Amino acid sequence: MGKILIVDDTLFMRTLIKNILFTGGHSIAGEAGDGEEAIAKYKELKPDLVTMDIVMPKMNGIEALKGIKAIDPAAKIIMCTAVGQEQMVKLAIKSGAKGYIVKPFQAPKVLEEVKNVLAS
Amino acid sequence: MKEVPVKIEFNKEWIVTKISVGEDRMVLPAPINKEILYKSVLDVSEKKNILIITVKTDTEVVYKILSVEKVLHFLKIHILPVCNAYRLMAYFMSPAIRGGVMIKEASWEKGSVVVVKSGIWFVGAVKQISVPITEVAAIELTKREVQGKPTEVIRIDYLDSGEVVSSLVLCPLSTLQVLYNFLKETTKGMDMKGTELDAVDQQVAMLVYSGMDSHAIENMLNLPHKQLDQIYDKILALGLAEVVIIRREIQLTPKGVRYITDSTKSQTN
Repeated sequence: MGKILIVDDTLFMRTLIKNILFTGGHSIAGEAGDGEEAIAKYKELKPDLVTMDIVMPKMNGIEALKGIKAIDPAAKIIMCTAVGQEQMVKLAIKSGAKGYIVKPFQAPKVLEEVKNVLAS
Repeated sequence: MKEVPVKIEFNKEWIVTKISVGEDRMVLPAPINKEILYKSVLDVSEKKNILIITVKTDTEVVYKILSVEKVLHFLKIHILPVCNAYRLMAYFMSPAIRGGVMIKEASWEKGSVVVVKSGIWFVGAVKQISVPITEVAAIELTKREVQGKPTEVIRIDYLDSGEVVSSLVLCPLSTLQVLYNFLKETTKGMDMKGTELDAVDQQVAMLVYSGMDSHAIENMLNLPHKQLDQIYDKILALGLAEVVIIRREIQLTPKGVRYITDSTKSQTN
C-alpha cells in the first residue's frame, strides 16, 4: 500500500481517483490542481507514487513529470491521458513515466497498475 | 485429416467425440454424421471454451463445439481464413487498452480482420480474438503514431468480461474506411445525440463506469438517494445500463423495536 499524490485540474477526477485508491487500501498524501503545485507538493510530501493528469493549466503533466524527475529520478509517476491523447504517452515514457492510464478508466485495472508501479 | 477430441452439443446433450479436421472441411462423426465445408460457415463466435459455428446448407444449423484452448485454436485457424465472411489483411493491436490501462507489451500483429454475422475476429498466427457486435461500445477512426508517423487507425472499444477493452486496426486507408463504415452501420442502433444526459447525469454514468457503487456515488457527488435513483432511472431508460442489485431500506416493526430494546437492556445490565 502506498502514499499517493493525485494531480488533476478537475475536482471530479481527483475525487474519483481518491475513491478508487481508498478502496485499494492506499492513503492519499495530497492533491494538486496543476503542474506547478504538483512539483511543490512532491517536494513537501515525498509520496510513494504520483498520478498525473497531462492536460492542466499553468504547467502541463509532462513538464511536471520532468520537474519531479529532476528532483527525484526514482519518482514513480503514472500518467493519466484522455482517449485520443495516447501519442503523449511516448513523450511521457521518454521523460520517465512508469505507467499510463486512459480516461475513462475502471477501478480494478487502475489498482492493478498502481500495485505494479509501486512494486517496480 | 487430423482428429481432435471435443464435445459437441447434439439433441441438447454434450457428446464426447473426435472430429476430423482437414484443409477445407471437417467431419463430425456419428451420431451427427455431418461434413462441414468451411466455406459454408456463415458465423463463428466463441463463448469461454465453446466455439459456436453456424453452417448454411439447405437451412442454417448451429453447432456448439466445446474443447480445450489448443483444440479450439486449431479449429479457428482452419475455419476463420476460409469461412463465408468479409475479410481483410490488416495489422491489429488487441488489446491495446484494458480498463483504461495501456498494455505496455501490446504490439502490432500481422493477420486479418474477419467480419462475420455476429462479430469481428482478429486473426493472427498466435491469437484469434473474437469481439461480438453486441459487446461493441464504440468505433472511432483516429490517429496513432506508427513507425514515427501519425497514421489513421480504427479504435474498437468493447466489453470483455465486464472490462472495457480497446483494440486497434491498421490497414490501407481505403480499406479502413470500408471497414469503419461497415462497423458503424452494424452498430448504428447504439448511436446517441450526446445531449440525453446533463452534466450531473454524465458524472454519475462516469462513476458507474469506474466501478463506484451507489453509496460511493452519493458521497462523491453529495447527492440525496432519491435524486440518484431518478438519475439511474434516466440512464436505465436510455438503455445505457442495467440493474445488477436492488438495495433496500427497511424500518423496524414493533416486534423489531422490542427486540432491539430488550437486547440493549441485556447489554447494559
